Amino acid sequence: MPGVTSGTGDGTSVSGAGALVPLSSEARSLSVYPLHHGLKPPLARIAISWARGNALRVSFFRQPSGRDSDGAAEVGGKVIEVKLSDGDGDIGDAQFRKIAYGSVSPFALLQSRRNSLATMSKISSPYHFEWWEYVMEYSRDIKALLGNPKSLASPLIDDPKTVLKNVEEPTSLKAAWELMEIFYVDKLSQSWLPERLVDWLADYDCLLSSTQATIHSKLVDFQKELVTLQVIEDNPKYWEVISSALAVGWLDIVVKMLRLHGSYQLDQINNRETENGLVEAVAVLISKMPRLRPELESGRLGECYKAKPDFVKAWEKWRAQITKLDCSAYWVRCGHHQTREGLRNMLQLMLGNTNSLCTATCHWIELFISHFLYIRPFTAGLESMYNMAQKCMQFKPMSGSHGLLGLIIGILGENTEVVLAECSREFGPWMVAHAIELLTAESDQAETLLREEHDNLGGISIEELHRLVYAQVLSSHSLTWQIAPIYLASCIKQGMGLLEILLSKQPVQNNQVLLKIIEICRLYELDSVSSNIMKIAGVYHWKHGRKGSGVFWLQQARDEVRLNRIAQQLFDSVGKSISDESFKQWEGLIELLGSESKTAGGLEFLHKYRDFKKSLKQVNDGKTNDAARQAVESLISLMKNPSTPQRFWLPLLFDSLKLLSWQERPLLNVSQTNLLLNKLQELSMARLRPDFIEADLPNQALSSVRLALATNLGRAILEE
Amino acid sequence: MEKSLATFDNGTTCSAWNHCGQRLATGSADGTLSIFDSQDPASTSSSFTCTSKSRIHEAQAGIVKVVWVPPEYGDAVACICADGTMSLWEEVVEDAQPLQWKQCKSFKSNSSKVLDIQFGISLTSLKMVAAHSDGHVKVFELLDSLEMKNWQLQAEFQNVIESVSTFGKASCISASISWNPHRGESQDSSFVLGFNSDTPQLNSSKVWEFDQAHQRWLPVAELALPADKGDQVHAVAWAPNIGRPYEVIAVATLKGIAIWHLGLDPDLDGRLSVEKVALLSGHEGEVWQMEWDMSGMTLATTGNDGMVRLWQSNLNGVWHEQAAFEPTS
Amino acid sequence: MAITATATGTALRDPPQIHRFPQTKYIDSVRWLPQLSAFDRFAVLSLFDSDSNTPSLEIHSLNPQSQTLTLTPQSTFSPPSRISSLKTSQTPSHKPLIAASTFSGSLHLLFANAVDASLESECSVPAKELHVGAVSCVDVKDGGAECVTVGEDGRVNLVGVTGSGLSCRRVFDSDGLVSYTAAKWASPVEFATGGYGFSLQWWDQRKPGGAVSQFKGNWTQGTTSGIVHSIDIHPSRKHTCLAGGSLGTVFAWDLRWQQQPIILSGIGAGDAAIPSACESEVWEVQYDCYTKSTNMGNISSSRILPAIICSEDGILAVVEQDEEPIELLAEPCAINSFDIDRENPSDMICSFEWESIAILTRP
Repeated sequence: MPGVTSGTGDGTSVSGAGALVPLSSEARSLSVYPLHHGLKPPLARIAISWARGNALRVSFFRQPSGRDSDGAAEVGGKVIEVKLSDGDGDIGDAQFRKIAYGSVSPFALLQSRRNSLATMSKISSPYHFEWWEYVMEYSRDIKALLGNPKSLASPLIDDPKTVLKNVEEPTSLKAAWELMEIFYVDKLSQSWLPERLVDWLADYDCLLSSTQATIHSKLVDFQKELVTLQVIEDNPKYWEVISSALAVGWLDIVVKMLRLHGSYQLDQINNRETENGLVEAVAVLISKMPRLRPELESGRLGECYKAKPDFVKAWEKWRAQITKLDCSAYWVRCGHHQTREGLRNMLQLMLGNTNSLCTATCHWIELFISHFLYIRPFTAGLESMYNMAQKCMQFKPMSGSHGLLGLIIGILGENTEVVLAECSREFGPWMVAHAIELLTAESDQAETLLREEHDNLGGISIEELHRLVYAQVLSSHSLTWQIAPIYLASCIKQGMGLLEILLSKQPVQNNQVLLKIIEICRLYELDSVSSNIMKIAGVYHWKHGRKGSGVFWLQQARDEVRLNRIAQQLFDSVGKSISDESFKQWEGLIELLGSESKTAGGLEFLHKYRDFKKSLKQVNDGKTNDAARQAVESLISLMKNPSTPQRFWLPLLFDSLKLLSWQERPLLNVSQTNLLLNKLQELSMARLRPDFIEADLPNQALSSVRLALATNLGRAILEE
Repeated sequence: MEKSLATFDNGTTCSAWNHCGQRLATGSADGTLSIFDSQDPASTSSSFTCTSKSRIHEAQAGIVKVVWVPPEYGDAVACICADGTMSLWEEVVEDAQPLQWKQCKSFKSNSSKVLDIQFGISLTSLKMVAAHSDGHVKVFELLDSLEMKNWQLQAEFQNVIESVSTFGKASCISASISWNPHRGESQDSSFVLGFNSDTPQLNSSKVWEFDQAHQRWLPVAELALPADKGDQVHAVAWAPNIGRPYEVIAVATLKGIAIWHLGLDPDLDGRLSVEKVALLSGHEGEVWQMEWDMSGMTLATTGNDGMVRLWQSNLNGVWHEQAAFEPTS
Repeated sequence: MAITATATGTALRDPPQIHRFPQTKYIDSVRWLPQLSAFDRFAVLSLFDSDSNTPSLEIHSLNPQSQTLTLTPQSTFSPPSRISSLKTSQTPSHKPLIAASTFSGSLHLLFANAVDASLESECSVPAKELHVGAVSCVDVKDGGAECVTVGEDGRVNLVGVTGSGLSCRRVFDSDGLVSYTAAKWASPVEFATGGYGFSLQWWDQRKPGGAVSQFKGNWTQGTTSGIVHSIDIHPSRKHTCLAGGSLGTVFAWDLRWQQQPIILSGIGAGDAAIPSACESEVWEVQYDCYTKSTNMGNISSSRILPAIICSEDGILAVVEQDEEPIELLAEPCAINSFDIDRENPSDMICSFEWESIAILTRP
């Protein structure tokens, strides 16, 4: 659908799917993308065609021209395909497919749980009190697909000079997912939301560096310098970076960096005892920082308090210790100016000095997070968070906008529509289709908004719309289209309609694809689609010279009309070739058609005709009486059978002349002869009709058959 | 990402993809019909190479339009030539010859030219609607489900609502036909048709439906406001309907692209309710072609401003231009 | 797909150990490469890169020494089009041999080094010489001197390795009246083919001119039928063809009781007494020499030995006559192919539709 591809030349990633999201008030400027065709102008015409899903094929035709200077004919036109797909520009196609494959099972499981809950508890709302736990499980499964970044501040190998590890690149997709999980699903995290956001920023601050400077980017820069620095504490940047890291609570990094302080070096300790003592005192205070959270990863610094009263007590005590240290007389005895100032600034940060925090942070979100750590650890409620964020933004205006920030603002502003719009614009249809489960996990308001049916959308909900859009994205790739049915099946109103169209646009030439379509039809009980596709396959194979496969598929499709037509066509060939060498080839086909099979239509005639011809051949070969009797039986059964085409009557009888005028004794009895005479009579009547098809036989054929029959009748009467 | 799929010979004028996007047919000014196939049978977006070229013998002029026949009837195309003749071509193995494209039927008329044709599948058979330069519409029916040779003229009428029409000899420049893409067993077949002609009565798009009981075609709706009825129609496109309680049809005239909603239930006179929900402007001048995506939610258009534009409705039902593509070399 | 399928198979008490190897390409087929040394193990993958639309055939080495099992690409071959059928065998001089046929109709025989599995030489038959359109199946005779190829065009060809080149011989041409979708050697002079309508044909090179025996599955009374996708013939039961195909069908055709197939699995049979390992296409079937028949006392030559199947609905299972199938894997996507390691029959490799490979080691 409508999203427009990234990388069409201007380097920006744009997803038009955003327009399907309720942002009608927003004035959107029209995006114009260049389409490179590489043809010499002028163009005479352009033609368009939708391929599967949201791939658009554009044909360009040049004005017809003569030969160019080299004498070679110029290219007269070109067709290019444009994929108007998702906006997730930072992941590759293969990675996207991996995510698409992996999210099928969690999604399907969640849908089936919803359905079974809905049937189980018809009395109340389907939302069992444990529903969020199911969504949480779903969320965890999906999150596991989105990459597994190691946390920023967990040093693995203790190289003292490496404060920042080269961690696996975290993805915006995962960052956004986690954010929604924190706010919308994970009930357990509600009591320690601020700390969860601290963790979140620690994991994903690096992503924000792409648009503007962050503490992470500062750290990265400093890390490069670090190796060359001799007296680290003389460098103002050292103190700047330390306080920045402290401001956002990356305690491990702070303590590690503090311990790089020159005063720790063995040869220095004596001279710089006080200095070292102060550094260590600050490091100890930092590592004892009380945190309002159930647990910390092992090795992480800080002391956890689950209950608020305990935390308050510890927090007061800790701050008292900081104040005490701040007022300590030792500072005077600290000879190193930078150390003294740097450490005291850190104490100010920990005491929640707004100015210091503002200076230490780069990005408004960092300032925002620092508030949770040092000023308002009990911040609760989205409204107060939103106000706080607004304030932080005033202090640190954004220089560029990052998708994640729009998402955060939307979440804090409790605006589901904005959240959805940001998800769609920034992360594409996959994200929206899957994140709606998170948005509606706990919120009735979001549920109403997203699951309500809209007349403007042709009677579907926003949730269904986004699933349809995602299914269409899946449909445009030959490896992912077969996932689309899972999502379409969850679209109550229009899913099956789109599935039928999707299936009817699949190629039938390849058996594996064809069988997959038929299997999907079986699972979703789309019998008429299935038989139509088998019909297409049947005609395709038949017309392309694979008559056996053609008949097989037409039989599967129960296409009596075409099978009867094929029977007509086969009669001609059979009549010509059955006696000669190629007879053996027909065996296989006739076997395949079967004699009893109802679905074979008039083809059962073929079976009998073959038997007749076989015995006739034996008669001609000289094997007489028994063969002759058999041939007569076949003839009678053929002539009796209503599926024997009329135009075959005369040729059959003409072929049987030898039987009709059998020398030794009449082979047909009176009633049999009468039957044949009646048929002959019928035939004479039929000849008068304009649509009669004259058999390719000698002119006297009819009369000689009639004569033979009359003679036979006479002999039969005499015999009886 | 944009990806080049195939290049055409000099003089190529038109192209058409088959139902699954795996084969491409092109027509050229010298009357050559070319077929392009994908190298890999299971993948749809690899590169395509020309696998067959045939010359249309009778044609005195080039091919102006190629239309694929529904796949239930094999791999076949109809070619309309500039001289107004139309022929059907089919890929088939016959009489121990290798697979090849063969002409199986040719339609000629001395009095008028064929301007547009489209195929539709009804309950029992394949139907072909042809719009002629004299303003006549002919509906043919295929008599044989396996061969493309025998066609029967099922109906012939003019694109007017009132059957008693009094106007002189019409002269039409172009016509556009679009079948209702839905192939339900319960539904009668229907199509929409508009003309670009010198006769105002013929122009406006009318929806025609086959009345099974009386075996005749009836106009069930007219897609034009009273003031616009004489407007010349450049293109029509009937959107796929995956579950809406109404049909959506796009009609392009010089005034812009109108989006129409068409009710599903006929009133006492057998007419369907119509509502014009949007008039989209963007293409200056003539619209060449309009195509709905598979869900019927996005309309792609192209016109003589040389642009490709995409249109969508938002959640409030307001139609707008979603994106535009500007061809550059 | 397994999400919706209701597989009836019972799970194993000791489930196999499974290692998964995600790829970034579609895997059409996967095989073990017969090897000389017990230390080096190699797998052959036929791949298709949908981003660049390029098919490839890759030999990967399996490294069991390291703690985590790894698959490392060793050598690559670029076929002219996507590979439709892949088999491995050994030449009379015990060189690993790979036979690959393509959708464009060509056949490629690749000879690998017995030690490091590097590709040493290649012989091929270009498209259009063997078949009109795709080769649907190729099988290599044990010992590797000859291949049989079949196609939907109705042709049956033999391709022999003669010194440095290949010699082709057409055994039969039905002119499209019968299409073949599977082939398997039974003996140096006999092979079996399968096709539409659950049909099987038996061919004997000593009796040219056509199939010596034919079978058509008509247990469905013409209501629904299917296609044979894979055939296996056990070296000790050369008179029995084991075939897998549509509707979860696995059946055996004993040449001695021509028109009475033994149905091991399938939903199309209309017989509720027959257990069904899966409901969709059985893409591949192979006799399983690792599973000991549960009915040891009753090994008559008419009893069908245990076999393994993989299916479109994501099942990898052991099926045995009159026994409940034993599920080894139930995936949410199709299992396109699998192979049992001839030297270590407890080990299996299989390929999933969702661009990944798994190696299973049974306890």
